[in-house]
Amino acid sequence: MRETWVVAAASNRYGKMKESGREAATRVAWEAIERSGLAPKDIGYTFVSNAFGVAERQAHVGPLINTSLGIPDVPSCTIESACSSSSAGLHEAFVHVAGGFADAALVVGVEKLSHLDTLASTSYFAMGADYAFETKNGATFPGLYATLADAYQHAFRTQPEMFGSIAIKNHANAALNPHAQFRKPISLDTYLNSPIIASPLRLYDCCPFSDGAAAVVVAAKEFVRTPKTEPLVIRASARSGSIGDMHDRPDLLGLPATRTAAEKAFRQAKMEPKDIDFLEVHDCFTIAEALALEDLGFYPRGSAARESLEGSTALHGRLPVNPSGGLKAKGHPVSATGAGQVVEIFEQFNGLAGARAVPKADTALAHNVGATGSSCSVHIFSRR
Amino acid sequence: MTATWSLACPRCGEARLGEIDLSGRGRIVAYTVQNVPGDEFLNEAPYAYVIVELEEGGRITGWMPTVRREEDLAIGDRVRFSTSYKPGVQFVKDVPGVE
Repeated sequence: MRETWVVAAASNRYGKMKESGREAATRVAWEAIERSGLAPKDIGYTFVSNAFGVAERQAHVGPLINTSLGIPDVPSCTIESACSSSSAGLHEAFVHVAGGFADAALVVGVEKLSHLDTLASTSYFAMGADYAFETKNGATFPGLYATLADAYQHAFRTQPEMFGSIAIKNHANAALNPHAQFRKPISLDTYLNSPIIASPLRLYDCCPFSDGAAAVVVAAKEFVRTPKTEPLVIRASARSGSIGDMHDRPDLLGLPATRTAAEKAFRQAKMEPKDIDFLEVHDCFTIAEALALEDLGFYPRGSAARESLEGSTALHGRLPVNPSGGLKAKGHPVSATGAGQVVEIFEQFNGLAGARAVPKADTALAHNVGATGSSCSVHIFSRR
Repeated sequence: MTATWSLACPRCGEARLGEIDLSGRGRIVAYTVQNVPGDEFLNEAPYAYVIVELEEGGRITGWMPTVRREEDLAIGDRVRFSTSYKPGVQFVKDVPGVE
C-alpha cells in the first residue's frame, strides 16, 4: 500500500444554498483542487455523494461535476451510505490511491433539501432507516435516536444538563467557525426550555437540516512529492456495519459498527485513543456524541455525557471534540458531512482554524455514522 | 430470534430458521413520545414509538397512539398487539384482566 495523503479540503458555509447541489459541489471541488496545488487533470477518479439528489431531480451527478471541472473523461461514481456517504467516498478514494489504481482522487459530498418543507425533509431523513420495520411502525429519525437516549438515561441515570452541555459546547465552537450554519452560542436555559421533539430529545439535542457541500483531494505521497499544504497522512481508513434494525442489536447502549470500525482503525494506524489530539465525531443528536466517545474507546460506558458537563471535551479541554461545532451546530448536509469533518481537520493542521484552533493538532480522528449506526467510517490522520 | 424479515439470523448468521406464532405480548425495552411525526403519521402526534421485547424472545417495534406523554409509559411496562388502522404494528398497554 502506498502512503496516501489528504492534500486539500474545502467547503462552503452550511445552511441554505441558493445554487443547486451540482453547482455547489463543483465550486468546492474546484477550490479544494486549487488549494492542493494539483491540476484537475491529475484527478484519476471522482467519488460523489449526494444521497438525496433525487430531491433536486438529479442522479448521476458525477459526470456533470467532472465536466464542469474540465475533466469529462475522468471516471466518477456515486457513493451512498446515508449520513456516512462522503466518508465512504473517502474510503474508496483511499483504496484507489493507496492501491495504485489512481494517483489522486476527488471526494465530494453535497446535499440540498432547503427547498422542501420540514415534513418532506423529515421523511427524506427517515429513508436511511428500515422503512418496513421502523418507519412504517411510526419512527422518525429523531425518534430512533430518542430510543437510544431513553435506554442510556435509564441505564446510567443521567441528567438533561449532561446532554445540554454537549449542545452548548458544540454551539460555542460553531460560533467561531465561518463554515457553520449556527454561529450563536446557546445557554443552558435555552437548551432546557426548547420543545421536546421526541422524548427525551429537545430541539437543541438535534442537528438541523442543512444544505452544504465539501470536497477532499487525496493523493499518493510519491505522486505529490512537495505538497503545497500541510497534508494529512491517512493512517487508517476503516469502515464497518451493524444489524440494520437498531432494535435487533444485542444492546442499545452504543453503536456496534463504531466499535468495530474503531478497532480496525486503531489496528491499521498502530495507535491508541491516547495518541489522538482531537476528534470530529458524528453528533447528529447529543446522545450520538456521548455514544461515539464511548464506542471509540475514549471514555468508559455511561461516562461521556458526564465528562462533557465537566468540560473535558471543550476546545481547551483534555480532549477537544467537534471543534468545528459538529453536526449539531456546524450543520448536517447529509452527504457532505463526512468530507466536511476532514475540512475541519485540514484547517486545524494548516493553521486555518482561527479562534477555534485546538491546543495540539498533530493527530486527529474522524467518525461518521450512516443512519442509526448500520454503517460507520473511522479515519485517523497524522502529520508527516 | 428476530421478528424482522431475514434469510439468516442477524446475530449468528444461521440460515436454518423456523417460524413460531407470537402471543403478541411483551415488555417495553425503550420508547419515545414523538411530537413531530413523519408524513404517514401526520395527524397522530404526539404518540409513542416503542421497542418491545416479545414474550417468546426477539424484538419488534410499534406505535402506541394512546401514549401522549413521556410519563404515560415506562421501560419494563407490559404491552400487547392491537388491531391497527395504520399499516404498521400497533401496541396497547397490557393490563391484566382487561381485554
